[in-house]
Order: sequence, then C-alpha cells, then structure tokens
Amino acid sequence: MKIIDSDVHPWVPGDIEGLKPYLSKSWQMRFEGKRAILPDHPLRPPLAGATSIRRDTTTPDGGVGGSDPHFLRTDHLDVLDIEYAILSSIQAGKLVSLPNAGEAATLARAFNDYFVDKWLGVDTRYRLAMCVAAHNPVEAAKEIRRIGGREDVVAVYLPLVNILMGNAHYYPIYEAAEELGLPIFLHPTGTEGAFQTSVAFAGGVPSTYIERHSCFPQIAMGNIASLLFEGVFVRFPKLNVLAAEFGFGWVPHMLWRFDQNWRQFRREVPWLEQEPSSYVLDHVRFTSQPLEEPEKDEYLLQILEMVHADRTILFSTDYPHWDTDYPQTTFQRLPDAMRQRIFHDNATELFGLKSNPASGAANGA
Amino acid sequence: MEHNVGRLDDIPADGALTLDIGGRPIGVFKVGTEVYAVRNLCPHKRAPLARGTVEGTMLPTPCAGEYRYGMDGQVLKCPWHGWEFDIKTGKCLFGVSDSRIRTYPVSVRDGQVYVDI
Repeated sequence: MKIIDSDVHPWVPGDIEGLKPYLSKSWQMRFEGKRAILPDHPLRPPLAGATSIRRDTTTPDGGVGGSDPHFLRTDHLDVLDIEYAILSSIQAGKLVSLPNAGEAATLARAFNDYFVDKWLGVDTRYRLAMCVAAHNPVEAAKEIRRIGGREDVVAVYLPLVNILMGNAHYYPIYEAAEELGLPIFLHPTGTEGAFQTSVAFAGGVPSTYIERHSCFPQIAMGNIASLLFEGVFVRFPKLNVLAAEFGFGWVPHMLWRFDQNWRQFRREVPWLEQEPSSYVLDHVRFTSQPLEEPEKDEYLLQILEMVHADRTILFSTDYPHWDTDYPQTTFQRLPDAMRQRIFHDNATELFGLKSNPASGAANGA
Repeated sequence: MEHNVGRLDDIPADGALTLDIGGRPIGVFKVGTEVYAVRNLCPHKRAPLARGTVEGTMLPTPCAGEYRYGMDGQVLKCPWHGWEFDIKTGKCLFGVSDSRIRTYPVSVRDGQVYVDI
C-alpha cells in the first residue's frame, strides 16, 4: 500500500549561516552583526548529543539527519514506499523565538527558498509545508501568495507565537491560505515555554524535557478551542488545519466537552450553528505520531472510532526524530478501510495530492 | 382538567409560582401580560425550572463575532446549566437538544389563573 508521510523534517546545515545564499547582502550583515542563531530550548532530550535527531539518520558524509534530500529518499522514501512526504522544517519553526518581526519574516522566506531550491527538485515525492512568520501576518500572507501557488507547496507551516489562533492577528494568514487552498500545518516548534514570544505552557514553566514533551497536547487543545469558538471556521469556511505531532488520545474528551459546553453556553458563540465537534471534524486533522500506547490494544481502536479516524487521522513518521513511528511497528491491528484512510486517503484529501506516477524506488530526478 | 392556581397578582413578576398539582411539580410564569405553565423539571438534569429566568437570547448569526439579541421574554433559561427553552412550545432552542420541557395551557379569567393538566 502506498503511504503518505505527513510529517518529515528536513534540516538546513549551518543554521542561519546555511541560509546565506538565500539572504540579501544587507540581511546577511544584519544577522552576522548580531551573531544571531535559531536557539535551542534549554531543556534538551536526554539522548546522545542532546538532540532529537536520530544518530542512525546521519548522512553518509556525516551530515545531520534530514540534511540531505538524496539520502533521505533512499533511507526513508524508498524503504517505506512513500508516495509523498510532507516536509516541515521544525528548525525554521524556531524563528518564533526571535523578537524581531523583520528577521523572522526574512528567515521564513529564506527557509522556503532553500527547500524549493535544494529539495523539491530532487524528488517528486517531496512536498513542502512552507513556513511563515506569524509576527507580521501581513508579510506572512504575502509570502503565502508568493510561493503558495506552486504544485509542490501543499501547506502553510505556521509556527505559533503566544497568541491563540482564533485571534484576528492571524486572519490575513488564513485568508491567503484559504485563497490558495492550503491547510494550516501546526507543529510544536520546540521553543515552547523557553522564550517570551513562543507559546507558553499552561500553568507555568516545565522543568524537564519529559515534562515539556508530555505537555505538547495542551497547545493544540487551546488553539483548537480558540479557532472554533472565535468562529474562524465560520469566517473562513474552506480553511483546514492539521495538528501534527500533538497526539489525538485527548481529542474525544475535547470534542465532548466542546459539545457539552455549547449546550449551555451557545449564546456566547451564536455563530456556531451546529455542534462544535462537527466543525472540528470538518476542519481539523491530526497526525498519528507519536502514536499513543494505551494499556490495552483495543483501547486504541476505540479511540480511533471516537475521533472519526477515517476522516481525521493522517499517518506520519516524524523522520528523522527519535520518536519516529514506522508502519511495520505502528497500527498493527487496523481494519483495512481505516488503514487506507489513515495511511493515504486522508492526506491526499487534505493536501490536494494527485496520484504520483513516479512514486516507487525508481523515482527521482 | 383545569386547576385554579390562584390570583394573577400572586405570581411574582420576577419569578414563578411553584406548586404541586396532582403530584406534578409545576411552575407558573408571568411575562408581561402572558402567563405560562411548565413542568418544574429540566429534562437535562432535573433542575427546578421555576427558579430559572425568562429573557431573550443571542439568535444564531452567520457572522462570527456579531451578536443579535432577540426572542425577548420567550426564552426560559434553566437555573443550572442555562439550557434555553422556548417557553411557549417547550422546545430546546437551536438544536442544542431534542429534549423539551412539558408546557400546559393557561387561561386567566376574572383575575384567576387556570392551568389545564
């Protein structure tokens, strides 16, 4: 069965330095003059090298995992028979830690140009979730219109700043994404709780990696509630959102709580004319990785049913990160029809992907 | 069968008369010149509806962020979870639930209120 991997992370070697060819001379000097970097969260994973990138994905010439589009296709796409891999740069997502909107927008643009130039031409199986800087949503909308019409750009990766997604701040971005038929791609940026402009965790600041990683779902939950109740899906009826790597075991609770509260507090949000869960099921999708491991296998199937997984869940590996889910060890028991939806069809519908005749081991430019 | 539940003037303007008619808990509301009788039990969690409020509500609107108040004096709001019912028909409003409250015909003659149960 063909697979679409909705969450694969490419890497630009050398941080901002590596983007230099895609920055004007003036911006190069601006970044150089202040020794700017895209900073890491101080709470590092307790893994070799304190990095989330797997050592076994290191490229043949010793590069960081995910940094070589030629190696990634043999190490990942060919091995799993992936029809399309959706590339999102979590490295680029770190730009939300920068307090300067101009720098953030410039880097988002440079990242996009880098991936268009270095990756998309290498293999037709690569598809890009282009990055935007939310600091200045008008600039972000321009960036979406600049390259979002390309066939190989299939989503807008929106690294979140500490403003909930229902806020009008983001509307220019939604307007442009909707216009171009691109879903908004959400993903933890890895900077949460560590920088003032990044998303804050509920209740306070976690003190370990295990704690912050465990709390990622909070971010998706808060933002979906905000999108829903502020009426974003009423204002932008064709807008879709993919919550990648936030899990989904918590989604049934959220849907039921939304509906329960709507029955009592509907008058606060009279623009929601149907049960809130129906808007979420129509407009929001979730990736599978890291797949939850309930106490009993059958619980997972029950949760999948509760979240209407045949519409809402998209398979993802998260290659090259430490918590990669591979199909041979993930979703062992799944009805065939649901497997087809999760591993393939939900993604083709969300990203508007056509069958890729070139997919398969012989593919490539 | 009609039951005389007392004088119109005895129904508090800002509340309801609560009474028991043949084992049925009943709430009688006066809203302006209209009088309504309902079963004093919310179908949701069995809250005493007679302790609820009669007001209007925010009508469904296609425009996110905009409010349109209406149905003034026609919406009975449960004192617990705030579920909203059309006080005339007993229907739960705007598809929130298929459940409805029981309503009874009321007539007022010579200042006396009669509930038909």
